[in-house]
Formats: sequence, C-alpha cells, structure tokens
Amino acid sequence: MSARVGDLATYAVLALLAVFFATPFVWLLSLSLRTPAEVFRGAARLIPHEPTLGNFAYILSDPAFLTYLWNGLKLSALGGGLAVVLAIPAAYACSRLDFRGKQGVLIGILAVQMISPLVILVPLYRWMGALELLNLDASVVAVYGALGMPLAVWLLKVAFDAIPAEIEEVAFVDGASRLQVLTRITLPLARPGIASAFILAMVMNWSQFLVPFILLERDGDWPISVAIFNFAGSTSASTTQLLAAACLIAVVPAVAVFVALQRMIVSALIAGAVKG
Amino acid sequence: MKLLPLAAAMALAPTLSPAQDLVTRTRVGLPDAPNVLTFRLTSYDLYSSDPATREGFEALFSDFIRARPAWRIETQLQTGNIGQEQARMLQQAQAGRGPDCAMVDSSQLATFRDADVLRPMNAVFSDAEVADLFPYVRDAVVNEAGDVLAWWWFTDLRVLYRDTSVVPDAPQTWEEARAAGLTAVEAGREGLLFNGGRWEGTAFDWLANFWAQGGTLVNAEGAPVFDQGDNREKFLAAVAYVQDLVDSGASPERVTSITDYDAFNAAAAAGTASMFVGGNWQYGQLRTTLAPEDFANWAVSELPGPTVDQRATGTGGWAIAAMTDDPAKAALCGQIAKEIYAGPGNALQGLLPTSTALYDQYDAYDGPEFELFAQALQNGVARPGAAIYPEISNQIQILLGDVLSGAATPEAALDAAGDAARAAYARQ
Amino acid sequence: MTTRGPAPADGRPFPWLLPAIAFTALFYLVPVIDVVRLAFSDATLVRGASGYSLDAFRAVLGDPALPQVLGTTFVFTAVNVIALQVAGLAIALLIVRGEARGLRGMAAFRTLVLAAWVVPGIANGLIWQMLFDEAPYGTLNSILGGVGLGPVAWLSDPQMALVSAVIANLWQGTAFSMIVFYAARRGIDPTLYEVAQLDGARAWRSFRSITLPLLRTAIAVNTVLVTVQTLNTFDSILALTGGGPGRATEVLALFTFNTVFYNFDLAGGSVLAVLLFTISAALAALVHGWLGRT
Repeated sequence: MSARVGDLATYAVLALLAVFFATPFVWLLSLSLRTPAEVFRGAARLIPHEPTLGNFAYILSDPAFLTYLWNGLKLSALGGGLAVVLAIPAAYACSRLDFRGKQGVLIGILAVQMISPLVILVPLYRWMGALELLNLDASVVAVYGALGMPLAVWLLKVAFDAIPAEIEEVAFVDGASRLQVLTRITLPLARPGIASAFILAMVMNWSQFLVPFILLERDGDWPISVAIFNFAGSTSASTTQLLAAACLIAVVPAVAVFVALQRMIVSALIAGAVKG
Repeated sequence: MKLLPLAAAMALAPTLSPAQDLVTRTRVGLPDAPNVLTFRLTSYDLYSSDPATREGFEALFSDFIRARPAWRIETQLQTGNIGQEQARMLQQAQAGRGPDCAMVDSSQLATFRDADVLRPMNAVFSDAEVADLFPYVRDAVVNEAGDVLAWWWFTDLRVLYRDTSVVPDAPQTWEEARAAGLTAVEAGREGLLFNGGRWEGTAFDWLANFWAQGGTLVNAEGAPVFDQGDNREKFLAAVAYVQDLVDSGASPERVTSITDYDAFNAAAAAGTASMFVGGNWQYGQLRTTLAPEDFANWAVSELPGPTVDQRATGTGGWAIAAMTDDPAKAALCGQIAKEIYAGPGNALQGLLPTSTALYDQYDAYDGPEFELFAQALQNGVARPGAAIYPEISNQIQILLGDVLSGAATPEAALDAAGDAARAAYARQ
Repeated sequence: MTTRGPAPADGRPFPWLLPAIAFTALFYLVPVIDVVRLAFSDATLVRGASGYSLDAFRAVLGDPALPQVLGTTFVFTAVNVIALQVAGLAIALLIVRGEARGLRGMAAFRTLVLAAWVVPGIANGLIWQMLFDEAPYGTLNSILGGVGLGPVAWLSDPQMALVSAVIANLWQGTAFSMIVFYAARRGIDPTLYEVAQLDGARAWRSFRSITLPLLRTAIAVNTVLVTVQTLNTFDSILALTGGGPGRATEVLALFTFNTVFYNFDLAGGSVLAVLLFTISAALAALVHGWLGRT
C-alpha cells in the first residue's frame, strides 16, 4: 500500500521536474515551426497558426550545416578519444601501483581541469601559432585531449579498481608483462568504463565554443557549436526561427550517442561505484 | 572496437561543395585563378539566411569577379558574435595571419587604426568620393595623412518609433516623451521602451541624450572626460531623463532587462508597445512582421532632445578595410567595397549609404521614412574614435542598470564610472 | 619474482604517467606559464609587454568593482553547487526508486535531463531570455498571471536576475551531477537496504544511515568538479543578461572575459585568470581535506 503511495509521489515529483526540463524544449520547438511573421508573436501562440517545417528543411538542405555538424562530431569524438588514450596508463598506474605521492598526482591531474580555456585563451592561441598548428583540427583535438584527460583518469581509475587484481595475477605468473596484461586482460574488462569516459569527454567537447572559435579560422572547419552563431541574426530579417531549428538539430547527434551508449555507461559507472 | 565504424563514417563525411559555380560557400571566382584575396565577411549578405538577399549578392559578386577573371576571392565567415569576432581578427592581423580584406564594425575602427593593421586603399577612391562622405564617416576612415584606411559602406541611426493610434504627435522633447509615455500607459499600453540591459546598445542609444546637449566622452588625446566640467552636468541630466521615465512609470521597469532590438519588434507585434527607441533597420522588419493595417499606424521621428533644437542620434554601421601589404590586393578590397557594397549593396538591403549622392541614385530610398532618416542623420554622432570607447560604454551600461534598478544614485554611479574608465585608460 | 613479471602492486609509476603529463605540459604548460608572465606585465591585446611590474595586480585587486564581482561569484557558485547536487541527487534517487519498482518512463526522463546538457550555449540564452521575458506577453509571467501570481521581475531586478541565472544554469547543469549520483547510488549493495527494512527503518532513516554515508566520496568528487565548472561558467550568463542589470550577474569568469575581450587588458585579464585558478584550487583543496577524512 505505502509502496503505491510512494510510486505516485515518485511520479508526481518527476512530472514536476519533467515540466521544468521540457518547457525550454517545447519553446524551442514552437519557435522552430514558425514563419518569420509569427516569431514575434511570443508565448501567446505556443502552437503556430501556420506551422511550417521549412526551417528544418532550410537548415538540413544547407550543405554547410551538415559539414558543421560533422566537424562537431569529428572534433569531439577525436578529442574524447585522445583524452581516454592519455588517461588509460595514468589511471592504471593510480589503480594498480603503490607509489608515494599518488594522492598528489590525482589532485594534480584534477588541477588541470581547473585551468579553463578561458583563462589561457590568448597565450594558447599564440602558442598554437608558434607550433604551426593553427587552423588544423589537431590543435582543437589536442586541447580537448588535455581538457578531458583529468575526468577520464578519475573515471577509469574507478573502473580499474573494480576489476579484481587476482585476474591479473594469474597472467603475471604466466610471465606476461604489465603492458600485456593491461592490453589483453584489463582493458577488455574495463570496456564499459572506457566507453563512459569517452562519452562524457565527447559530450563536454560538443558544446565547447571558445576553443574551436579561437583556433580555427576557416568557417569550413568550424564545429556546429561555433557556426550556429551564423543563424543568430541579420540586418534585414529575423532568423530566430532558423536558429531554433538549428539548435534542435544540433542537440540530436549528442543525444543519439548518449541514448545508444547509455546502457553501457550506466553499467560501467555502477561497476566502478561498487568499489569506489 | 567502436572505432572502426567511426573511421568508416569519417571517410564518407560530406565536405564543402566542390561545384564549379562562381560563388560557393568558401570562394568567389574560379578555383584555379592565379591571384587570391582572402575576404572576411559577415553572414548578413552573400551568405545570408534570407534567400532574396543572398541571391542579390551572388549576382553582384558574380559580375564583379567576371570582370576580373585572374582573381578569386576566398571568403571567410565571421560569426554573429561581433565583439569576440573583432577581437579575434585583431589578434590574427597582428600575428600576420589576418585576412587580406575584412568587414570591420564601425565601433571597432578606431581600435584597428590604433593597432596599425589597416592599409590604405587610396587608389580606388577619388577625392570627390571621399569629400562626399558624411563628415563623421570621413573622419573615421581617413587619417591625418589623407590615406583612406577603410570604406564605411553603410550607416545606421536611432529614431523614435510610435504607434500613432496611441501617440498621434511625435514627441520632440524629453518632457513630451514622458507625457506621451504616461498617456500610453493610461491607454493600457506599455510606455516608452528602450534598451536598458547590459549591452552596447544600451549605452549607445542613451548617448544620443548626452550628445544632444553637446557633451563629449573623450578629450583630444582620447582620455575619458565625460564626468568632468560641463560634461558632468549634461551627463547627469541625460541620466535623470531616463531615470524619471522609469520612476514616473512612463517607461516600464523591464527596460533594464532589454538587451536586443528584437524585443521592440516583439512588443509591437504583440500590440503592447506604444513607443520605442529603435534602429532605422527595424522599419523594414516591422513592415514584414505586422499586419498591413497595424503597420500603417507606426511612424518614425527624430529622438526627443532636452529642447526642440537640441537633437542627436547615434550612428553606426560597417566598414570594409584592407589588412594586406600587397597594393593590388588592397585595391581589390577597395573595389569590393565600392562596386558591390556601397551603392548596390546598400540599395539591395535598404541600408543607409554614407554619402549623399547615393540616396538620389537608387529608387530604394524613395520612401517617406528615408526623408526622416536623412534629416536625422544631420544630427548624427558616431562613437568617438578612441580605443577607450568600449570601456566607457561598459561603464555606462553598468551605470544605467544600477540607476534604473535603484541600486545606485546617479552621482555615485557617475563617479565610479569615471574612475573606472580613467583607470582603464591609464592601463592602455 | 622479478623474472616472473612485476609484483602486482609494485612498479615505477613514471612511465605510465608520462603520456598524460607530457601531453598536458606540451599544450597547457606553456600557455599557463605565459599567463603568469603576462600577469606581471603591462601587455594589452594589441600591444606586447614592454616591462614587468606588479601594476596589473595592484590595478585589478584595487578595482572597486572587484568585491562586488567576487560577492556575486560566491553567491552564484555556492547556490549552484548546492542546488545542482540536491537536484542531481534527488533525480538520481527517484529514478533508482522508479526502476526498482519497475515504473515506466525512467529512461525517457533521464534522456530529457541529458538533452538539456548538450544544448548549445547560445540556445540556452535564447530560450531563457524568452521564458523570463517581462513583457506583458512573456512566457513565465503569462503562466503565473493565469493563476493570479506575479508579474515577477525575472531579469530587471538585480537580486532576481541572479536567481534567474541560477535557474538557467540548473537546467543545463543538473545532468552531470545526476549521472554521477545515479551511478554511485546504483553501486550500493542492495542487501544493505533489505537489512534496514527488516529492522523496520523508514525511508528517511535508510537515506540518512546508508545512502548518504556511502555517497560521501561521490559527493566530494562531484563537489570539486561542479564547483570548478560553475566558477568558470560565463557563456550562459553572457547570453542571458550580459552580466546586468548593472553588475548584478557579473561573475568572475565573465569579468575576466570582459577585461580581455572588451577592454583588451591582457595583463589585467591574466591577473584575474590567476585569481580564478587560485580560488578553484583552494576550494578543491578544502573539499579534498573533507574527502581525506574517510
């Protein structure tokens, strides 16, 4: 009986929260279905009188938009991948090796996370220029790698901790080196953890504006998070409806990646949290 | 293990169209033309989201490049994020990585000039053409040596919009504006709307009230003096005007949250607005947004001044400037400004040209509103050509926000703004 | 033993840490050192350093606006860190409960919260500006008016504007804490709750004596991450209020951004950058001290 009451209460609270989280999306959708004349009609017309899919058609038919979307996906995936590759050995060491100053290393790695790109933007631009990396995807990927590495280390350490050391010890007895053990035994077992670290790093890169904006000068190289500003205005006509449609489409790939790998992430985090 | 499909997908990725059109997303001209000019432009014209505008500019650019087959223009888009975009371009220009030719916001021209990154385009513009520019435009683009460092190709200004069904007569003075606002409120409308939030438009729109009295922001050296001598009194009078609008209810308190001009279009469309301080470009937006019978009620007039004879309006717009050391490229940059943008480009978008001759040349400027705009431009004041202007603007935005929301008194806020602007000036 | 491979918990950590350290140093260390150098210089965005002094420190730390900016930053960060985690924890626990009871719609709800996380910054500003619009036709005020409340001065009142900025940030930021807490909660051994139930403990008791203590590590790590993220938030505020009215919503990160990109004061901006980092590090150390007690 009380469980049923609890269910109702759960639904009631979640419904309230759902309204909070959904309202902005409903708004965005309403805007994206409007004609320019109806954009300024505000909230009084949540459902447009003359709804149109023209805004979505316009955005999707623009080859540049798909390029931006692709650039966004490419940069955030490569950046997330790099972060994970850098994090794996460091996380493994922190999980499996006993060494002095381990806490210090972990905190030091976290300190990298505290240096926001905003703080070092101008020197970063000049340094990338000196390295001849400006306008290359590599510059953005490198920064994403450094930026995403700390969180990945923490997540992967937790994932490695959850894998019993006994499994590795058997391999050591058979004469395998630590590197062989890592690549052949530990990494496959930690796959969910690696996936979750990758996804989180990738999603954080997806909405980055400053880094690609400052390091990539050609608009053909821009990810969607930067290029979306091109739909933000004009001197002669309102483009709010296009911007709204563009924003909605820009959310879809990231959400799709999330949904597809959600099960994997969740199980990884659970596995990690058991021991963490 | 998940990387393989990803790599495969990457190989199939779309790239920017390789079509052999004369105008593509990244280029104007033939791909194998020997001479290359890089041109950084905004997304408002050649790459506009508005099909009519885009097609018009495609035609202009196509004609331009057909007459110069040895050239190709590599186009680079600016984001609509003007402040950051211009700061980034300045960084690039100083690092020697800037575009050959670029669209520069008129408010940033002084900064670009001070940084010494602009190159003369004298060969393109005759003395007569330079002489025909509006005075504030000429001062901004020509240096002491007589070099044309940029071509300011369209200007804009602020005017008072009103719904004549509520406010039949154009308020000419501050007093009349306040009275008209109160009348409109009684009629169930919102009073006089204006930008009061934290953004450049707030400071710039308000400055017309300061300039109308003859106030100056900076002295001849470019140092801030807006809170000193005569200026102090004029500044406080202009603050008192808007403060009184809000305190009396002639303007709603929500003005401190308005941070774009679109808010006025929205209020007009919703039928709640009676008057607002807007840009000249909004006239066309209202025409397309409102029903014809509603639009017929709207009229524009000069911004009210302290007296009928003391009037001013802030003027902005965009310029095109060369940043290349190659004289041939600088000349081509000037030709783009002259043959595509100033004149045909103005008329296509209904933007205001910067020289009087062009108004007579195009039919686009026959409407009655353009008579008023031309008249108001007589009282036009551009932002001072001083690198400290952005910080002065920033301080004015803070001051107005604090005063209008009751967080500070005008005198104390002005002292703080003056000190802050001078401190920033000392560090430049 | 050594001929048979390394001992399980023995080995030199340095080669393992090298890729992460070397890479970060290559791309981050030089700019960071450069920021520190610039903080002692007189450089602007358009002019290089011509000399070194403490002038920029003096000017920035003596700026009469700084106390207000720090105050706003403190309030914004503190409220967000608490609210983000309370909301994230509540949602995570509700979803876990819903899943345990086999309730439908839990995955859909989780996806909805996550979707808010990936919305581009400019959209966040666009959406919330319209929702908070104080015009007679503004969305939230229209709804409140319908039930006889308001109107609320969402963005024009200095105090309320800060609340509104927190709400917009909550909408976008809750997902992160939700994921962390959801995972941590699912990781707690279910038998603990079964035992508690047999002992007749009510939901609140279980929460106090099982959930909260076992989530302590997760809360500590999450507090550090969320604090750092919130301290560095400026784009959503920039899009929503620009920092106004007045300076009511100008946090330290936005102030830094304005100093560099509006004022072109590179030296002053670098001092603020060092300040921002120092505050982040101090707070992280504080939380780590708390975490270290376990």
